[in-house]
Amino acid sequence: MDLIRDYSLVFIFFVLPIIFAIQPLFLNKIKNLENQVDIPSLKRRKRILYRQIKELEMEFDIGNINQKDFEVSRKELKIEVSEVISKLGNNNI
Amino acid sequence: MTPIAGSVALNLAFGFSLLSIIILYIFIRNGDRRLFLTGQRLSLGISFFVFISTFILWYQLIISNFDIDYVARYTSLETPFIYKISALWAGQSGSLLFWLFILSIFATITILQNQSKHHGLMPWVMISLAVIQLFFLILTNFVTNPFMPTEADFIVKNGNGLNPLLQNITMAIHPPTLYLGYVGFSVPFAFAISALMNRDTSPLWIQSIRRWTLVAWLFLSSGIILGGWWAYQELGWGGYWAWDPVENASFMPWLTATAFLHSIIIQEKKDMLRIWNMALIILTFALCIFGTFLTRSGVMSSVHSFTASSLGPIFLTFVFLILIVSFTLMFLRRSDLKSEKRMESFTSRESGFLFNNLVFVVMCFAVFWGTLFPVISEAVRGTKITVGPPFFNQINVPIGLILLGLTGVGPLLAWRNTSKESLIKNFTFPILSGLVAAVIFLIIGFRGAVVISFSLSVFVLATISTEFKRGIKARTKKFKESILKALVAMVSKNRSRYGGYIVHVGIVFMFVGFTGHAFDKEKEFSLKIGQTDHVAGYEFTLLKLSETERSNHYAWISDIRVTDNKGEFVTNLYPEKRIYFHKNPDVNRRQPHSELDIYSTINQDIYSIFSAIDNENGVAFLKIMVNPLVRWVWIGGYILVFGTMIALWPRKD
Repeated sequence: MDLIRDYSLVFIFFVLPIIFAIQPLFLNKIKNLENQVDIPSLKRRKRILYRQIKELEMEFDIGNINQKDFEVSRKELKIEVSEVISKLGNNNI
Repeated sequence: MTPIAGSVALNLAFGFSLLSIIILYIFIRNGDRRLFLTGQRLSLGISFFVFISTFILWYQLIISNFDIDYVARYTSLETPFIYKISALWAGQSGSLLFWLFILSIFATITILQNQSKHHGLMPWVMISLAVIQLFFLILTNFVTNPFMPTEADFIVKNGNGLNPLLQNITMAIHPPTLYLGYVGFSVPFAFAISALMNRDTSPLWIQSIRRWTLVAWLFLSSGIILGGWWAYQELGWGGYWAWDPVENASFMPWLTATAFLHSIIIQEKKDMLRIWNMALIILTFALCIFGTFLTRSGVMSSVHSFTASSLGPIFLTFVFLILIVSFTLMFLRRSDLKSEKRMESFTSRESGFLFNNLVFVVMCFAVFWGTLFPVISEAVRGTKITVGPPFFNQINVPIGLILLGLTGVGPLLAWRNTSKESLIKNFTFPILSGLVAAVIFLIIGFRGAVVISFSLSVFVLATISTEFKRGIKARTKKFKESILKALVAMVSKNRSRYGGYIVHVGIVFMFVGFTGHAFDKEKEFSLKIGQTDHVAGYEFTLLKLSETERSNHYAWISDIRVTDNKGEFVTNLYPEKRIYFHKNPDVNRRQPHSELDIYSTINQDIYSIFSAIDNENGVAFLKIMVNPLVRWVWIGGYILVFGTMIALWPRKD
């Protein structure tokens, strides 16, 4: 009985992980994701850019940046966010 | 069977780490995604086997399997359960396995979190993490295996037991917290290396690791504070920081990590300091490994060196490898790392951040030099010259005060450039507050660094309150909100900013506590029952001496009544003199230990140590210290943790 238990444990904890690790090697060829658009990262970038615009507005309200810098930085951020949105749009997100 | 399984799991983890590095590298070369998936699963497999082997060692410690050398060395049948758990990080091989265990948790989280993100970065992130795991697997497999059998030709009925200094609840928490900090920086480092390999110098990698860095920083900070708390409670010299090499080992990466946390804000907002940030995170990680080296190698004599070993050269080689590979990579990618933007004014927030960064790095270098000076002097002149706390204090107190001042200056500077009018408007109230405070402290009778420290503390608090006030004012004006609503909305919408300010408040509290050290008083004396002595306006009367036997030690307990100079009762203190392993027939193996008792208030601590006992004459030898403002350090620690939690708290987008 102990032997069966030991062998079962060895199978579960040592053999199964090895099978799990090498299993993808036996799949048909999968398309590489590296060339695809990284949607979650783009979404994340969009969120961060929106956040940065809000923070910038707050900095301006507090008086930490002057009118000219505020407008330049806001414009830069808006251009970047629209680029991200158009990339997401191209991927129908 | 089970201990062998632990060893086999470590062997398999070693094999998996090698394979995952090779397979992921081939994937990067040829792009076959099946290899990526295999590499990813192999990386998860490394962690899985490390988990198995760690749990097996924990189980062996709990069941007191003295057939394993590590279990016999660091536990005994009398060791309480909690310390059997903490024995995992009490010795060398166990603590290295524990390092690996935490790294494996972080690696697993990183891989699972980014399964569908960062396709370009992740292969190199996984390779970097696997290389770090491989290093620790080499150590735990071939140099210091925690599953080695006990070398005895008889049945070992009981183990050595845990060092009494480590039998303290803080010590059960402090090392894991510190390790979570040390190991946590592996993830930002892996992302940095990956960004370099991929020539990805966009702020994306910085944004991906910001949270990780903050988590690691939080643990490192908490670990350092807990270490100070442990030293204060357990070591019996009345202080919490002694510039001990191992303390310095944790402080150095903290300094560079703090600099990094500030400078990544510049990269995120202004896309500047790319090279600087890369260098800082590489240095931070290298210093984390260096810290483990200092703790584990035994190269420095330290109160923390519970083990001495021959691991030094291996660790040092790894540190050099990290530095050489990383900085070579940085050099090769120097054109990608160049930023087009430049600092435009000395009175800008960017300059403030950069200056604060430089001061952090200078401080780190000073600590590094002082820590390694004994080793360097021995290597060059053949004589070990130790530099003690006076050296560190002389150098670091002024630097620390500059940093404290900068904590106040930074938030008042505007991005890009601060006009003269803004400078006057922003700085008038904080500077006036600091000056008024300085005059008051001088009138009270304080002098020198004490006045500077207290005044700067007031200046920084005034700055932070001004920042909160300005933010609230802007919101109430713009959104017509009430003050309370504006405060809550402002903090919740700008968590990292205001969380950071709260952390600064914590730092101010800690500086106030550090400054209190200038007023410490102490006295050593002996008392018979009924006798009294005086220290710093307090009267100490020995009321009783009793003795008791507990599971893992024998203790003499003194009962001391403390009254103030008006004769009013303050407290009773019960410091103990203990003998650990008191049942050991070999008298030389019994270990004496003084367990302190502390009466702590916001103003001062009364710290009592029962140094020795003369049983025949009923005399207790005591040391009493009165340490002002120590509690401010711990309160500052709580505030720091609270502020970091606010900065870390996830936001709804």
